[in-house]
Amino acid sequence: MITVSNLSKSYNGVQVLNLENLDIPKGQSFGLVGNNGAGKTTFFSLLLDLIQPTTGYIKNKNVLVHESEDWKPFTSSFIDESFLIGYLTAEEYFYFIGELRGENKSDVDSLLAQFEDFFHDEILGKKKYLRDLSKGNQKKAGIVAALIGNPEVIILDEPFANLDPTTQIRLKQIIKHLAEKQGVTVLVSSHDLMHVTDVCERIVVLEKGEMVKDLATSEATLKELEAHFSN
Amino acid sequence: MIKHFLNLEWKQFKRASYFQKGLAIKILLFLAVLYFGGIAIFIGGIMFFGLEKAFPDVDPIVMVNNYLIYWILFELMIRYFMQQLPVMNIKPLMIIPIKRNTIIHYLLGKTILSFFNFISLFLFLPFSIVLLFQGYPVINVVLWFIAIMCINLSINFLNFLINKSNTVFYGIASVVIVVISLRYFNIFDVTEPIGKLFNGLYNQPFFALIPLLLMLGLYKVNFDFIRKGFYLDGAISKKVKEVEATDLSWMDRFGSMAPFLKNDVKMIWRNARPKQVLMMSFLFLFYGLIFYTQDIYRDMPAFLAFASIFVTGGFLLSFGQLVPSWDSEYYKMLMSQNIPYRQYLESKWYLMVVAVAVSFVLSTPYIYFGWEIFGMIAAGALFNIGLNTFITLFGGALNRVPIELNTKAKAFSNTNGFNPTQLLIALPKMVLPMLLFYIPYKLINFNAGLIALALSGVIGLVFKNFFLNKIEGIYQKGKYKTIAAFSEKK
Repeated sequence: MITVSNLSKSYNGVQVLNLENLDIPKGQSFGLVGNNGAGKTTFFSLLLDLIQPTTGYIKNKNVLVHESEDWKPFTSSFIDESFLIGYLTAEEYFYFIGELRGENKSDVDSLLAQFEDFFHDEILGKKKYLRDLSKGNQKKAGIVAALIGNPEVIILDEPFANLDPTTQIRLKQIIKHLAEKQGVTVLVSSHDLMHVTDVCERIVVLEKGEMVKDLATSEATLKELEAHFSN
Repeated sequence: MIKHFLNLEWKQFKRASYFQKGLAIKILLFLAVLYFGGIAIFIGGIMFFGLEKAFPDVDPIVMVNNYLIYWILFELMIRYFMQQLPVMNIKPLMIIPIKRNTIIHYLLGKTILSFFNFISLFLFLPFSIVLLFQGYPVINVVLWFIAIMCINLSINFLNFLINKSNTVFYGIASVVIVVISLRYFNIFDVTEPIGKLFNGLYNQPFFALIPLLLMLGLYKVNFDFIRKGFYLDGAISKKVKEVEATDLSWMDRFGSMAPFLKNDVKMIWRNARPKQVLMMSFLFLFYGLIFYTQDIYRDMPAFLAFASIFVTGGFLLSFGQLVPSWDSEYYKMLMSQNIPYRQYLESKWYLMVVAVAVSFVLSTPYIYFGWEIFGMIAAGALFNIGLNTFITLFGGALNRVPIELNTKAKAFSNTNGFNPTQLLIALPKMVLPMLLFYIPYKLINFNAGLIALALSGVIGLVFKNFFLNKIEGIYQKGKYKTIAAFSEKK
């Protein structure tokens, strides 16, 4: 689904990301871990064509991301709060995203109905603008908005941060379900090694922009990651 | 303690985004401050002589006192819309061992240095000095001046309360409306007794105590208000507003543009900054009054053309020059979504066109000044729709300054869209219509000028797709730069 080739990004001669080769097949749940400054968000930003690669390219379903915009209809993402429109209510925001993705109100409503317990009654019908919601609730809204319109690729940056434990567990179920049952390629980054190993079939460790580990998740993975990061 | 605060303020000032701009802009800003300050001083200086000449049988000070109430109301209104509330970054100070009272005193004291307080100072100080030179009794004049300054500061503190508390806002607003309607319907003219009050202030100098007490009282009220709410969820927190949901589904008829259009309407309605722009553009409607009422401009129709552009173009100019900055807060999302620039731009374009059309309808009272003037406004409106919209959108595309939507623009810190490119772009917006009118007017006659101006707009409309394509190209080319600029923290 996603092919990365010779991808690098430098700012003023300082390289922040350098990935020679990376293939993410369709339907894989892919986890990205690494300390601050490892290049996780840079990679996601490149994937969304928000910044320009210094060398190399990313192909999303055979579309060259930095040249064509044809990847947009089947790709969705939630990177940070700047993906929310602060002056809309959650519902209005969902409908807006729905309209952009060619879904009508009832399509969106039926999708939202599936996430009732995920929202925990704190998002819908609250008569509050998104900018007035707490960080955690903003995140919930953003994540669910990224699921609107049957995307084939979903990119979530640090989806577990700021969420309460109940929601974290529900989110894990949602991500697993997306990858296993619906064949959606899910890319998540996280600082929480336990969550990533729970959710992802494959985990890549970044360090100073380089890929240092590429693991197929197994029983031993969590131990291995913990060992890696404790040094 | 105060020393530390001042140090923090100084850093905030020095490191603010508008100060990091180029030298040219700093100089321009400085000149603008000088200009407005200078105008106030000048008016204050000549006010005495002007009034003496215009109303020879009334003492100028009496005249000033009679109409002072209007100045006060005007100031209150301007402050309500323009003045930033004194929000010091209070959160980090809450857990440090500083007395709350010190912080609050400082916070309130800071507002005394607001630009708005200086307008009154610059206006009334020269006036009072002239009074002294004219041999008015020293004690009366000095105490009157002090009283006015106390009133000025009272307004300053009152504004804080109005902004923070709905009760005070509605209270004041209803008093003002009652007073104005009483006068309008000739039932009772409150201005007369109020004028007497102000004159009393002058005649009986010790009355100056009253405004002084008023000011101190309002200070105390403010102090208590903040003191009581000195918690994260109290007075210093942002007000969480109930959602005002309106059904905009009738806009769906605009097809693929509808989601953007609906969003833009909500954006304008629900955020402080665009609301301010909307208010300002309403004031632009009256711009013509300055020009049309003066006989000098009657012989300089090019200037009338200039004014006519502004009458209908207020919203177009002030809103349009900040496209796409209005969407800067969530620009990354827009860019990763399935959004064609074209629809995005077209939606903004329609918004501006509608605004010009509405302004044009509202400008019909200008028929009073004759059909020639109104024809000019009509031609100007066509020019605005057909050409100015595209020029403005083009200028906006080169503008990459992020906007905080829900924060009022401060006076003189509003340098968004205020850079050399913007100034260059502003030029054709002003000069082009003047030329379009003036050349045929000089060569043929007045009507030819009108037709040329109107025709230019029609031609612009014909080439709409061409223009939008060009602007789209700029957007595409500048995409990464724009994203990077918008995600910079201010």
